[in-house]
Amino acid sequence: MEMTFTVNGTQAKVEIDPAETLLGVLRERLRLTGTKEGCNEGECGACTVLVDGLPVDSCIYSAAATGGRRVETVEGLTLDELGRDLQAAFVAAGGVQCGFCTPGFIATLVSVLRENEAPSEDDLRTALAGNICRCTGYSQILDAVAATVSRRNGR
Amino acid sequence: MELRAADSLDDALEVLSHRGDQCQVLAGGTDVMIQLARGEIAPAVLLHVEKLDELRGVEANGDTRLGPLVTHRDLAKGLLGERFRSIAESAATVGGLQTQVVGTVGGNICNASPAADTLPALLVHDAQVTLRSSAASRTVPLQDFVVGRRATTRGPDELLTAITLVTPGERTGDVYLKVGRRSAMEVAIVGLAMRLAFDPDGTVNDARIALASVGPCPMRSADAEAALVGGGLEPDSIDAAADAVLRDITPMDDVRGSAAYRRRVIPGLLRKAADLCSQRAGTGSPDGEG
Repeated sequence: MEMTFTVNGTQAKVEIDPAETLLGVLRERLRLTGTKEGCNEGECGACTVLVDGLPVDSCIYSAAATGGRRVETVEGLTLDELGRDLQAAFVAAGGVQCGFCTPGFIATLVSVLRENEAPSEDDLRTALAGNICRCTGYSQILDAVAATVSRRNGR
Repeated sequence: MELRAADSLDDALEVLSHRGDQCQVLAGGTDVMIQLARGEIAPAVLLHVEKLDELRGVEANGDTRLGPLVTHRDLAKGLLGERFRSIAESAATVGGLQTQVVGTVGGNICNASPAADTLPALLVHDAQVTLRSSAASRTVPLQDFVVGRRATTRGPDELLTAITLVTPGERTGDVYLKVGRRSAMEVAIVGLAMRLAFDPDGTVNDARIALASVGPCPMRSADAEAALVGGGLEPDSIDAAADAVLRDITPMDDVRGSAAYRRRVIPGLLRKAADLCSQRAGTGSPDGEG
């Protein structure tokens, strides 16, 4: 079956299987390989992308349900000003070690910071519970968010 | 496999009336997509219902009625208000943000996991579920709908269309407590919901206690509830409630915890839950929290 959706601002039309996941469409059909496959069962958050602005695990999100919706992946998010600020802050704070979890963290954080410009550390830890960094670089990631928040609010 | 995306409730019921026995209903998909990927299910038809906006509403008109497509995130943010804190707390512990924004309360009910977090919280609010087919509609108590491990009495032609809760009165407090090895992204070792209503002098006049992960399906313990009514949450009545819960439950050993451990945590959980209910009802001592 055919499915049409918007990905990073561009309309895409793809042929999909009924049980296919959004992650499969992004990586295998559209070659948007910035989004990673980790656990493939909604536990690790490596595959997080935004669907209509909300962070979802694309590995367990139905491709068919994506029809008509707006998807943002790390490729698009880092063209956006907030995403660029986060990316730069991750680099500066050492928030990237092996890098595998980074696209998912960026996606979740963009959604959180769009909704709340100055989240508390508690808000952030709760919002990031579904993103696992197996290098355990959480402190640097939180430092990067803090730097992003203070930079943006200082403007 | 064929995919049908329902664009109206009648459309969904029509598909179920003809091919219900070959259908898997898919809402948020956070359980179904995993079961498909693992080959645990292989339905001939996937019926998407997630675009049915008529199943997404909340009405508070005496009773509180919510659509099955209300997400865990909506509930965790307090959509139902201060009188349903146990439901907000239970929904906030279902996976992470990514699963909460997609996963639905109706899905949590119909998936009928023994560890389903929202079910104990719904049970203490006397939840009833409404099921519709193209021919009929029926409303049954949630505890009669979920009957075993991943088993419900939903007929192949039926769709869950509403969940109705009894809105608590004055001087009522409720809470959901979850035991896990960590505080996030965890399947419950034990989940316990409690709702207590008090007389002005602090006597418990109504009690609801429900648990998850202690048997094949989430369940209420009527004897434990009776043990708390008429008292003031004295240590003896908590002990009696704990004894009743321990008689009612049938916990298993699994990778998350042993049956013995599950039994061990019950008395402490009941004490903590009772104190929080009392405090939230405005009748407890201020040091009850935590």
